[in-house]
Amino acid sequence: MFGTKVKVEKSLYNKIKMYSDIAGYSSVEEFVHHALEKEIEQFEGADSEEEIREKLKGLGYIS
Amino acid sequence: MKSLYCRIRYGQPVILVSGLPRSGTSMLMQMLEKGGMPIVSDQIRTADEDNPKGYHELERVKELDKTTEKDWLKDHRGQVIKIISFLLQDLPMDLNYKVIFMRRNLDEVLRSQNKMLERNGEKGTDASDEKMRRNYELHLRKVYYRLNRTPNFRPLYLDYAEVVADPHHEAGRICEFLGRDMDVKTMATAVQSGLYRNRHSKTARA
Repeated sequence: MFGTKVKVEKSLYNKIKMYSDIAGYSSVEEFVHHALEKEIEQFEGADSEEEIREKLKGLGYIS
Repeated sequence: MKSLYCRIRYGQPVILVSGLPRSGTSMLMQMLEKGGMPIVSDQIRTADEDNPKGYHELERVKELDKTTEKDWLKDHRGQVIKIISFLLQDLPMDLNYKVIFMRRNLDEVLRSQNKMLERNGEKGTDASDEKMRRNYELHLRKVYYRLNRTPNFRPLYLDYAEVVADPHHEAGRICEFLGRDMDVKTMATAVQSGLYRNRHSKTARA
């Protein structure tokens, strides 16, 4: 798979490799991809943005 | 370097007063107005019990997230516009902005917002205060990231409690940031500690 490379320490890589095997991922890349997506999800928080929007609308600060 | 490039390319900045709703942005607008800064406001939203001295808003700003027509902002270089933090992400990036950002204890902000909703008979959202607090914390982290890392923005952070406690000093910081020789004594008169309602016993900056 092509994409941007990210460097991690060897010790961390070994852990990632071990847990990706244990968790049944087909590759280290798949495990890392999934973990990062999950992490980013909580920051993107579409729900929280919608709740803020509703509140601000009620307050008359957005139309 | 990018910041310098933006300043040269896009010229004089638009001055923005920003923060969460009910964080003291209207008070800040009054300070700037008293200091002689040109304020952009349509006066459509008039003074009420929640903002006895007026809102200093521009209705057009409230539609920034719904339109691609944003060129009108270019006519307001060197002038002051109030914009809530939620809409900063919708500003066009072919302009420079000096952003005076007001921070206030989130419990105070929420209390004030809830009172305002109650007075207006609005519901707002089903989310609990605790959930909204978390939402705002995350929202503000994103806003600070954007303000601190986007070359088009130059932010100055003020703390509401500090402005109320020492308006003269904070007015001086604003003048320095804007590079203007304004009358800090007059600016400070816009701050009335009597209007510091919904005060939290332990003030923690949001």
